[in-house]
Amino acid sequence: MGRHAGSPVHHTVEGTDPGLNVQTHEPESPAPLPPVLLIHGFASSVALNWEQSGWIPALLDAGRRVIAVDLPGHGLSAAPEDVDSYSPSRIRADLLQIAFDEGARPLDPARPESGLDVIGYSLGSRLAWEFGATQPALVRRLVLGGPSSRDPLAEFDLAAAQRFLADGTPIDDESTANLVAMALASPNSDMYALLSLVEAIKEEPFDAAEAVPQQPILIVAGEKDERAAGLEALHSLVPSAQLMLIPGRNHVNAVTARAFKQAAIEFLS
Amino acid sequence: MAEIPFPLPDLGEGLIEATVLEWLVGEGDQVERNQPLVEVETTKSALELPSPQSGKVLKLHGAPGDVIKVGEPLIVFEVPDDTAGIVGTVPSEEAPKRRVRLSANLDDD
Repeated sequence: MGRHAGSPVHHTVEGTDPGLNVQTHEPESPAPLPPVLLIHGFASSVALNWEQSGWIPALLDAGRRVIAVDLPGHGLSAAPEDVDSYSPSRIRADLLQIAFDEGARPLDPARPESGLDVIGYSLGSRLAWEFGATQPALVRRLVLGGPSSRDPLAEFDLAAAQRFLADGTPIDDESTANLVAMALASPNSDMYALLSLVEAIKEEPFDAAEAVPQQPILIVAGEKDERAAGLEALHSLVPSAQLMLIPGRNHVNAVTARAFKQAAIEFLS
Repeated sequence: MAEIPFPLPDLGEGLIEATVLEWLVGEGDQVERNQPLVEVETTKSALELPSPQSGKVLKLHGAPGDVIKVGEPLIVFEVPDDTAGIVGTVPSEEAPKRRVRLSANLDDD
């Protein structure tokens, strides 16, 4: 399995190097299909969201070339101090550069390997939605796992989280308290980088209706995912999208579900 | 034939147990090394455990929803006698998992 950390080609976007950890994985028997870009969720990482969960081996078995990126402040990526490095628009620009550097090329009907398929989970689904909407010439198909139509991070009570981290003052807002608990439970998480990401997201909250992707879309969520309540709102913007609910699974454990992987691999084949 | 039990491995991060989400193999199945065996969930994340070896699945421990402690039996394999003795002593074909460490280059400052 070919794999490396860091890109051999190194480009900066807007003059600064984002220091993102990029992993590419080459299949033993490549299928004539575009590479797959994987975008993980908040307080997760390539290792947690895509490696340990079995996604990367499953995609490689299906002959797919995989490009996986740790978001800023996550996994093995750098955790810059400036909030701008965490803005969703900046992350999308970095992902576009990385995809290009790793060989993804604009869709060309004569070349089946052209284009890029994108799979996102949770916050990664929001980024994938916007990435697909803004890059129609590159992105072929989208799989959105555990997405929200509202943005739980945009409603995050940053001041309460900072007070809690400073002196343990309990957090009143339930969603904020859950996100902080999730971030604290996440191995090796950099809490200050995660709060910078939240701050940047509050400046650019998700507005699904603002830019709607035109690609074929598969939406997958655990049946018990409390965020999946907003799925209908998202689905109404893309009525042609396929919707799949995984019985008995929640936002955390839908990630590993075999049914999710099989549906995604089939949808992207 | 010999029976080889495989306990729930140490999952790191100080985790002491995991909950079975779904078995991906059944008793009687012939499995290959690295084939996904089971999905489990810890307090930190959900993960898929690959098979440590090839063999026939003799017994599965734990139904979906059951909690298994690290070190407790998870699955029992049946393998031919002539391979049983050497299991665990054969060097792994896999390269050690790569860890990338960022080190500061002080000369650059």
